[in-house]
Amino acid sequence: MTYKIGLVLDEERLKLIKGTELEKEIKDLFGGALKMIDVEITEEQAKKLMHLFPRVRIDARGYVEETPIAFRKALFKSVLSNGNKKEALEVILSDENILKEIKDMASKEDEYIPPP
Amino acid sequence: MKLIINNPPPYGGKLIKNIDKKEHELKGVPFYDIKPEIDKKSGAPIRNVYREIISICYGFFSPLDRFMTREDVDFVLNQRRLPNGYIFPLPIIFDVDKDEIKKMQLREGDRLYLRLKGKPFAYIEVEEMWEFNPEEIAVKTFGTPEKNSDALKKPLDEKHPGFSIYRNMSGFAIAGKVYIINEPKFKEPYNRFWYPPEMSREEFSRRNWRTVIAHQTRNVPHTGHEHLMKEAAFMGDIEPCRGILVNAIVGAKRIGDFVDEAILEGHEAVNKYGYIKPERHMVTFTLWDMRYGAPLESLLHGIIRQNMGCTHHMFGRDHAAAGDYFDPYSTQTLWTKGLPSYGFDAPPYDVEKGLEIRPVNVQEFFYCPRCNEITYSETCGHNEAQRFSGSFVRGLIAEGIKPPSVIFRPEVYDVIVKWWRVFGYPFVNKRYLMQKEEELEVEVE
Repeated sequence: MTYKIGLVLDEERLKLIKGTELEKEIKDLFGGALKMIDVEITEEQAKKLMHLFPRVRIDARGYVEETPIAFRKALFKSVLSNGNKKEALEVILSDENILKEIKDMASKEDEYIPPP
Repeated sequence: MKLIINNPPPYGGKLIKNIDKKEHELKGVPFYDIKPEIDKKSGAPIRNVYREIISICYGFFSPLDRFMTREDVDFVLNQRRLPNGYIFPLPIIFDVDKDEIKKMQLREGDRLYLRLKGKPFAYIEVEEMWEFNPEEIAVKTFGTPEKNSDALKKPLDEKHPGFSIYRNMSGFAIAGKVYIINEPKFKEPYNRFWYPPEMSREEFSRRNWRTVIAHQTRNVPHTGHEHLMKEAAFMGDIEPCRGILVNAIVGAKRIGDFVDEAILEGHEAVNKYGYIKPERHMVTFTLWDMRYGAPLESLLHGIIRQNMGCTHHMFGRDHAAAGDYFDPYSTQTLWTKGLPSYGFDAPPYDVEKGLEIRPVNVQEFFYCPRCNEITYSETCGHNEAQRFSGSFVRGLIAEGIKPPSVIFRPEVYDVIVKWWRVFGYPFVNKRYLMQKEEELEVEVE
């Protein structure tokens, strides 16, 4: 069974994607109001994410939700440099240093997110 | 089953109003301080019994007028009814610190005064003091997949917030009628939405709402919720419902939830900015620390909203559930066919001493790119649904992305930002959780 992580693309991310292979994978949502790419992940990877970040859950659509912002930023960076494939997430999950950094940032995120 | 075209009577025939404003001689009287119940594992507050006292004393739980005796709890667990035959799905237990009570040398027949935030608040006429095994009560409250295979998919555990509430109880309870002696004042913004049953009924009458459909919420509304309310309001027995009552459950929160202040004002923004006419839409709340008992919780919701004067109640997929313990359709099954394993061979309005409020079971609203609008799962013929859940919206907000107006009204987003600035965070975090349980929703003078 595979699940998905939806990476929403703001203007900055769209700029970074422009001209890359990833551009073809952009999905329009809600009549073009949002743009997103789906990152497919395995059941094992989903379980690992739920173990690492206890609030993570899989919604009725099969999307992995409630991942920390720091994780989504790291995943986007990895997808950008490694391509949208299984390895993009594996690079993060297998690197203790990256995980520690994400966890540290995630705990700060739990304390404060600057309002717009 | 008869048609329902007028506000039903309170459940059990009369609204409980246990407010005793007589002068009380309190000098030298021993008080028991109400404290939040803390989850032994996480250290987080998960319940405050003051909310149950308020809901009992203002009649939300009518005909329940007390904290339950051992016999009451046995009836509830075995039949989902009180000894007088009226439906009640969940044990309402006032568990206390046994040592503290022992020191007070309290006896059955005595009156125990209760203090909230250090001020006199209520008393309980001690009918019984009884011991129980919290684990056993927790399991029996919700049932097991073996005994309740028509509703439960897996056994509840400590991750389930309702199970945790019962399991973390002290094991020593005081039962008896409870009365408020000093009515607390709700703080802003709660005070604007405080309509206990007597007041909501008066307000319905003032608005000439004969038929009212209740919308249960613990979320800031996205447009899926808004459409659900709009469409459901066209249902009714012989005429569309005249009013929509949003009744938020305000109580102990979970990390990541929207804050209660934003939930109430977010729903208010829906009528304030005309997405649903204010003449047809009203926002209120009930104090209750959710047990997330899905079909069982829905029975309590039915009781509360019938007491408030509603004729109909919306029930969606996965109503009042947490995690994947319950069959997501178990509430809708209960309200259309019954759930025999919980003692309902027929729906709760079709049994002896049953409720009068009627269900309106609803499915799902999503965005369809072909229709180019929010549409309903049971009518849209395209297979291109773009779903948006509350957690999806929360994810956008956390990343600093303003949700598009097609799924989230900008005025509702503004409410989130307003409270985000107040609390330094858009959702419930540990700081909010602790602060909320310390300050509560009320002031006691």
